[in-house]
Amino acid sequence: MKKLENLLKYTTVFLGFVSSVFFVINYFILSRLRPKMIRFEVVSQAEENLMNIVGVGLLLFLAFCLLSLLWIVRYLKRARKVNLFSVVLIIAGVLSLLFVFSDVALLNDIGKQYKHGLAQPEWLILYPIMAFQFMTGLILTFSHLFGLKEKDKVKHVAKDSNIFLIVQYVGVVCGLMGLSLSSLGFLFPRAWSLNIHTTISSTVLLMPYALAVSYWLFTKLQEKDRQWYDEKQMQDVGKSAFLTLLLTVFFMILLFVLNYNNLGGVISITWLPLYLFSALFLFSLGNLYFN
Amino acid sequence: MKLANRLRKYRFEHNEITQQDLANEVGVTRLTIHSIETGKFNPSTLLVLKIARFFKAKVEDIFYLTNKERKKK
Repeated sequence: MKKLENLLKYTTVFLGFVSSVFFVINYFILSRLRPKMIRFEVVSQAEENLMNIVGVGLLLFLAFCLLSLLWIVRYLKRARKVNLFSVVLIIAGVLSLLFVFSDVALLNDIGKQYKHGLAQPEWLILYPIMAFQFMTGLILTFSHLFGLKEKDKVKHVAKDSNIFLIVQYVGVVCGLMGLSLSSLGFLFPRAWSLNIHTTISSTVLLMPYALAVSYWLFTKLQEKDRQWYDEKQMQDVGKSAFLTLLLTVFFMILLFVLNYNNLGGVISITWLPLYLFSALFLFSLGNLYFN
Repeated sequence: MKLANRLRKYRFEHNEITQQDLANEVGVTRLTIHSIETGKFNPSTLLVLKIARFFKAKVEDIFYLTNKERKKK
């Protein structure tokens, strides 16, 4: 078990360093392509092929984020408590993971707009996102090496509370991101192929939460005396569920009233993700509040 | 009326057992023990009995009713 943990740790650290190097390489590749694409100059086949390197870098970073989050969650399972630093690490990790998909989408859009001779404002979003991912990658890598100490762990935890809390933090982040992205449809109703974007982005945004819940389920299945929630958690979940029911009903009525004259418009597609992500956000936030 | 407790005192007197160790013994999470100690959560009868049995004490020695207003005076 110790060997497996070490293997996981050093694979994660290795991937962290490699993906950080790739971010630097990607920065130079994109800086070379950007001026040409903005001025609609011809991009050679060789230069176009450089995008494969960018793709490899992003794939490695995706693997790093997944392993990194898994490693942090495994560590926190037996940590004395979930401190602010761990929460920040988890939130930054989840955001960076989600941003890999937005990197791909933005690069795709930039490519398409270049081919059609259109402006590419996406560059302005791409660079800050990649800078954030690069910084998060470095912080996560160094945290694995020096930040998460064995002495802060307890020997045995019969009933988990830390993974439960982490699931709620991930739920808050995914819920907020989902709400923001689904609301974008109202701002740009014509620029979106709404059906596809809404479906894909909702699926991607639910992925970290689904992974966190799966890991929580996995730890529950490993418990000897299995009980999904202890009595305090059960009470908190009950209160949060009631609050979520009340607020989502109010939210959905408000959406209905605001869109009453255009029920066949954007709302006909976004109502489901808006409902799902508001429920996820409120339920997770409620659990954290009552805890 | 409010349910109060001397859980912290009992933990201290029992080799300063940690919240986590007590939680493991009675089958709840550490946060539940913490919430009971800080008066945020009223435990069930079953949990109260488990805690009392663990400390080999009577329930009313650990848990008692208090009047918050009277305490303030």
